[in-house]
Amino acid sequence: MRYQNATAYRFLAPYLLIFSIFWLWPIISSFLISFQATRTVPWRFAPTFNWGRLIGDPAFFNALKNTLLILVIQVPVMITLAIVMAVLLNSPLLKARGLFRFAFFAPVVVGEVAYSAVFRLMFNLDYGIINKLLNSVGLPRIDWFSNVTPAMAVIMIAVTWRWAGYNAIILLAGLQSIPQDVYEAATLDRVSKLKQFFYITLPLLKPIIVFCAVLSIIGTMQLFTEPFLITERGGPGGGTETLGLLLYRQGFRSLNFGYASAIAYTMAGLAIAISLVQLWLTREPK
Amino acid sequence: MAAVTLKNVVKRFGVFEIVHGADIDVEDGEFVVFVGPSGCGKSTLLRMIAGLEDISGGEIAIGGKVVNDVEPADRGIAMVFQSYALYPHMSVEQNLSFGLRMNGNPKADTERRVKRAAEILRIAELMKRRPRQLSGGQRQRVAIGRAIVREPQVFLFDEPLSNLDAELRVQMRVEISRLHKELGVTMIYVTHDQTEAMTLADRIVVLNAGNIEQIGAPLDLYDDPANRFVAGFVGSPKMNFLAAQVVGNDGSATVVELANHGGARLRKSLSGAPPAVGAEVVLGVRPEHFFEAGEGDCDIAVKADVAEHLGSVSYIYANAGPEELIIEREASRQRATGDHMVVSIKAGRSLLFDKSGARIR
Repeated sequence: MRYQNATAYRFLAPYLLIFSIFWLWPIISSFLISFQATRTVPWRFAPTFNWGRLIGDPAFFNALKNTLLILVIQVPVMITLAIVMAVLLNSPLLKARGLFRFAFFAPVVVGEVAYSAVFRLMFNLDYGIINKLLNSVGLPRIDWFSNVTPAMAVIMIAVTWRWAGYNAIILLAGLQSIPQDVYEAATLDRVSKLKQFFYITLPLLKPIIVFCAVLSIIGTMQLFTEPFLITERGGPGGGTETLGLLLYRQGFRSLNFGYASAIAYTMAGLAIAISLVQLWLTREPK
Repeated sequence: MAAVTLKNVVKRFGVFEIVHGADIDVEDGEFVVFVGPSGCGKSTLLRMIAGLEDISGGEIAIGGKVVNDVEPADRGIAMVFQSYALYPHMSVEQNLSFGLRMNGNPKADTERRVKRAAEILRIAELMKRRPRQLSGGQRQRVAIGRAIVREPQVFLFDEPLSNLDAELRVQMRVEISRLHKELGVTMIYVTHDQTEAMTLADRIVVLNAGNIEQIGAPLDLYDDPANRFVAGFVGSPKMNFLAAQVVGNDGSATVVELANHGGARLRKSLSGAPPAVGAEVVLGVRPEHFFEAGEGDCDIAVKADVAEHLGSVSYIYANAGPEELIIEREASRQRATGDHMVVSIKAGRSLLFDKSGARIR
């Protein structure tokens, strides 16, 4: 048995080696770096230097506030939209189902830079299609990128556009795993389609919805591309700066790796904590 | 309670016709079983009665009222599904009461109906459990309970026992029979298992490839099948079919020669017109209707291939040329593979079919 184990580990060794060097060590190293003052060379051990700064840093709290705001508004809207899309995709009345599935999933495949550029163009003050549409229905143009609220809205719309279809496809798989005869039994019980949705579909889909929500929470906590490219590095005036962007600014522009590491661990901790709360709130009763 | 009438009911899926004009009259309070092999259209027929499938042609009436365009919930039926179709996220109690609660039924009445169903099916102690915490038999009871609380005029069962093990199937079969006696409601039951059909039904509808082959009481179908399909389908082990040829007719009897049994001949009386001399026919003999040598009207020699000893009876699978025969024997425990034996056929205990499978009477 011991010999067999040793053989197994010899086969696993190449993977474990690469895993340790490129995955495990960076995790440990960055955690250790978060306890070092890294603004001057040589780096020195100062346990409270970065963590102490984090607690009193207005930029951190601004980024945290922005990230949580996006999380609280965008994730529920996106998941709701994804459920609606999944139900529509699952409808037997829908024609060209494959085409719609691809169309909903396509945004994930599009390159981040390309899609960000398109969104910047669409929301451009002077020649963007959104403002033209607003004008055509008699509404005033909006300067989307110069004011915090519209800029934040653009980020949320962009993220929702990109990920709603992806979540819808996951939810669709969940919907298709619900046996048809459960609905037939409900039909014989004179339960309307709407009540079937709320009393059968949603409860049976709950584990998948929770899964999508947890994935989305983790993704939003790490949000970087959209505020970096669409609202130009968290503009206007840091109004859309997220934790991911603050981490990038501290780590790769100010080269303050200790503080960036502390931010990274805070993001991971928050994502885990929020996901755990979510899982606890939606747990199955015994 | 209500009678169910099907008049020339047709079902098509696109260009494919699955049910070719079914005519069935189910009397009030009757237990009718639709039986047939997979794909014969029996479940489709049941689902059309339930309203879960559209009717492509013909008419279905429940309690004298045509229900072709009536919603499933308004037909006065309740259905028990093969997969139970229980709501997995609800307790047994919630499963039973769900339909009534959703329709605003008074709480006291809902509680009364749920309690009654739980008592009838002896599931009162399971009320707080979820379906996944129940055994197959218990789940099936809950599924039946959900049908009972609706207090329907007609119960529809779609292969309700096929997911249960053999022992539980027998137990549930008895329970369903008891339930029918207790409630006295019309029941239509679909199965591919002819034993279930024989033991449960007042009348059996035998279906094959979308056609009704015969409707009748279980023993009538067994003793007097309309054709070779019914003769082969009803009865376990199934009827033996021996290739034969008509070699002579004398007045009210015909003489057939068994093609694979060395020219053995059987003289069989017929009530109708005899087949022409030279016509190829098939002689049907049930396994229990092979007698000891000399006891019947025609002896044939066979070689035992496999012997199954079930205790009270033995089934001997015997070869005679290209034909494999199943012979039932009491007290034949010593019979072994390779034994040569002679068995006898009685003309009055055999059936004759023409080449197309129709019965020659």
